[in-house]
Amino acid sequence: MFSSIDEVRSRLENQSYVCDQGLATVVFLATRLNKPVLVEGPAGVGKTELAKALAGSLGNELIRLQCYEGLDEAKALYEWEYSKQLLYTQVLREKIGEVLGPTKDLRDAAETLRAQESVFFSENFLVERPILQAIQSKETAVLLIDEIDRADEEFEAFLLEFLSDYQVSIPEIGTVKAEHPPVVILTSNRTRELSEALKRRCLHLQLDYPSKEVEREIVRLKAPGIADALADELVSTIQSIRELDLRKSPSIGETLDWAQSLVVLGAPRLSKELIEQTISVIVKFDRDAEKVLAYVASEGSRPPTASPQSRHGQDYGAHDHGHGHSTVYDNLRDAGKG
Amino acid sequence: METVVSDFVRVLRRHNLRVSPAEGLDALRALEQVGLGERAVVKDTLRATMIKDTDDVESFDRLFDLYFSLQPEREKPQLQVDIHDHDHGKTPSRLEVREDIEGEPQPEGHNHSHEADESTDIRRFLDEDRIVPSQDIHGDPESMRLSLFSQQLILNRKQNAMQQIMQKITHQLRIQRARNIFNPGELVTSTGSGQEIPLNVSASELQGLVDHLHEMEVDEDLIRELTAQSENILRGLPELVAAMLEREKNLKREEKDDSDFRRRSLRKLLDFSATEQREMEAAIRRIARQIHGAHTRRLKQDRIGRISVPHTLRNNIRYEGIPFQPVLRRRREGRPRVALLCDVSISTRNLARFWLHLIYQMQSLFSKVRTFVFVADLAEVTQIFEERTMHGAVDEVFSGNVLDADVNSDFGRAAGQFVGEHLSSVNHRTTVVILGDGRNNGKSANVEALEEIAHHARQVIWITPEPKWGWALGGCDMPLYEPVCDRVEVVRDVQGLASVAEDLVKIRV
Repeated sequence: MFSSIDEVRSRLENQSYVCDQGLATVVFLATRLNKPVLVEGPAGVGKTELAKALAGSLGNELIRLQCYEGLDEAKALYEWEYSKQLLYTQVLREKIGEVLGPTKDLRDAAETLRAQESVFFSENFLVERPILQAIQSKETAVLLIDEIDRADEEFEAFLLEFLSDYQVSIPEIGTVKAEHPPVVILTSNRTRELSEALKRRCLHLQLDYPSKEVEREIVRLKAPGIADALADELVSTIQSIRELDLRKSPSIGETLDWAQSLVVLGAPRLSKELIEQTISVIVKFDRDAEKVLAYVASEGSRPPTASPQSRHGQDYGAHDHGHGHSTVYDNLRDAGKG
Repeated sequence: METVVSDFVRVLRRHNLRVSPAEGLDALRALEQVGLGERAVVKDTLRATMIKDTDDVESFDRLFDLYFSLQPEREKPQLQVDIHDHDHGKTPSRLEVREDIEGEPQPEGHNHSHEADESTDIRRFLDEDRIVPSQDIHGDPESMRLSLFSQQLILNRKQNAMQQIMQKITHQLRIQRARNIFNPGELVTSTGSGQEIPLNVSASELQGLVDHLHEMEVDEDLIRELTAQSENILRGLPELVAAMLEREKNLKREEKDDSDFRRRSLRKLLDFSATEQREMEAAIRRIARQIHGAHTRRLKQDRIGRISVPHTLRNNIRYEGIPFQPVLRRRREGRPRVALLCDVSISTRNLARFWLHLIYQMQSLFSKVRTFVFVADLAEVTQIFEERTMHGAVDEVFSGNVLDADVNSDFGRAAGQFVGEHLSSVNHRTTVVILGDGRNNGKSANVEALEEIAHHARQVIWITPEPKWGWALGGCDMPLYEPVCDRVEVVRDVQGLASVAEDLVKIRV
């Protein structure tokens, strides 16, 4: 577990997940108060990534439950393994005969059988689905309930017991309570409003597109081999594209795709032609592409030399910070490769 | 701390942010974990625990800044040359007193319950030197403001002394309040009389407080600090009261009252005969059959439908696989969801009567209807139509409380707002029905916004009062909107609606 907010931050950064203070605060609170976190935000801002990084930094297992319409508790929680039960009764037929042999009448036999009932409704015959797995985990697991807004409202209601007490009720066995309450991360793209009851049980975190500095940091971490100057240009272009009124703004994932394709193309600097050629990487709608190209054309008419220098001057602090860490990241990256 | 948090929660609630008691408690527990060292952290903590709706974040930010903003901003840019100033930051103590006045109308509300865990709390703040460093940070009022919490805790320790001071102030304020006959219940704003307050409170009580702190073996430095600040506390009081009033004013919500005249004139326009109402209901019922929700992907067990082999097998394992109980499943039809956007501008005022009735009927017939009205701005009125009678709802819409109904209509802008704020409520099951004449009075048509809506919705139906030949006249953007909509209908009255219903039914057969 984490001892301070700063520790959360540095350990997530070790997992190549760059975050700001707000996020670190919420994660810290979630681990301390044992409360689930509901992460909302547009697609591609690193909601799912957060859970992965968190699991990595805690050194624990990540259990993932992808929600979809029609998801029910047989898929999310547990299911009885009927075929195994049947198989056992077949194999154990003789033994059952032995047990029931000395009984006098039918009533007695039924009574004896009932006493043995728990054999067949035990955890042996239970297929664990993600939620039960998280509850029964020997150590604090990280449970990611992805895109909860896609699941039905009934499923949300079903989650309530689990989210508030980290326990589930299985009719045949009773209540199973978590010894090590898992860290639960729920994500939502807000395709529909979640119920108040669910929200009340969670800490709420709104993720948005990252600031320039953070995004540059992410590009450096995730797209190694990109030149600093190019990364700067790329990030500020992406940031200004997000300001445009697009149907789908480029997400972090698209920034990284773009960075990687530029690295592959071996481009030293970002030029207007290059943007035109690679536009399909960052925007996915025709109308958006037109808007972006029009914007790039209008930007291109300005003298380009002035901007990089002034940017350097302004962001000196952030830059320095980045460099201070960079050796650590390099080492990590190398370690990761080896 | 509890007092501050619960008071803050009260402020949030007054501004229609829903914060449950459980969330308030969560916030307290969370603050214990993170401490009160940094303003930003406290803000994030409170937001994460209490605000669960992204739309509310903005108001929360505003209220948070307002509520914990008693530190006068102007002190920030001042170049503090005098070293002394750094050592005795004067502002934090002021804050503390202000906080207490804040709770002044209910002195008994000041709870004494934290006696038990308090000493540890205090120690934490003292040990970590939170207060002293907080005062010598140049131009960083952030942390200074935060020391509000810590000081509150320290001073609360000595309830009596503080209580005495406060009672005195309270007393003064009450008298002034009584005098102020024109605005009963409000504090007097005149600074002339406000000046008197602090002078009477005076040193003896403060000395008492300091003595008490000595007895309690609180950090000597801190006491010295407090003594040094007492002067400032007293000097600052009038300012403080003024600032508090200012804050109260900002925190208070403005309420407008509506004009009776408007209502009466509209009432005449909106009367609907019983026959008309019946006809309309019948027509809408026919339409209702046509506006379907999408089929859900989910197969549900049912008494009719197809045999599902896997489910049958699994369910009949208990009979050794002999299918005694076949399991039938079929696709259920999702409930239709409808979003209504209704133009209530002057150009369609004569039809608004008809439309609003239509809306009222639809809301009572469909299970999930969200209704919006627009002129230039968009406002949701679902609640109003649900809670009130038909006339009440219609009155409310035109009263001016919901939106400004007397400007030129601008569908482009309203559609843009809908996309920005309510698009999340539209999904593949939603039918969007737009009631309007598509006249933007020369403003941008914003077809993109409608496309965006159409992209998310199952279908878009536009009901316009104007026949097609009129669309080319006078700033009407219907020709632009038409290709985006799945269906455009010209409806002026109940008969028209009935024939549209007839058409729809025919097409289906």
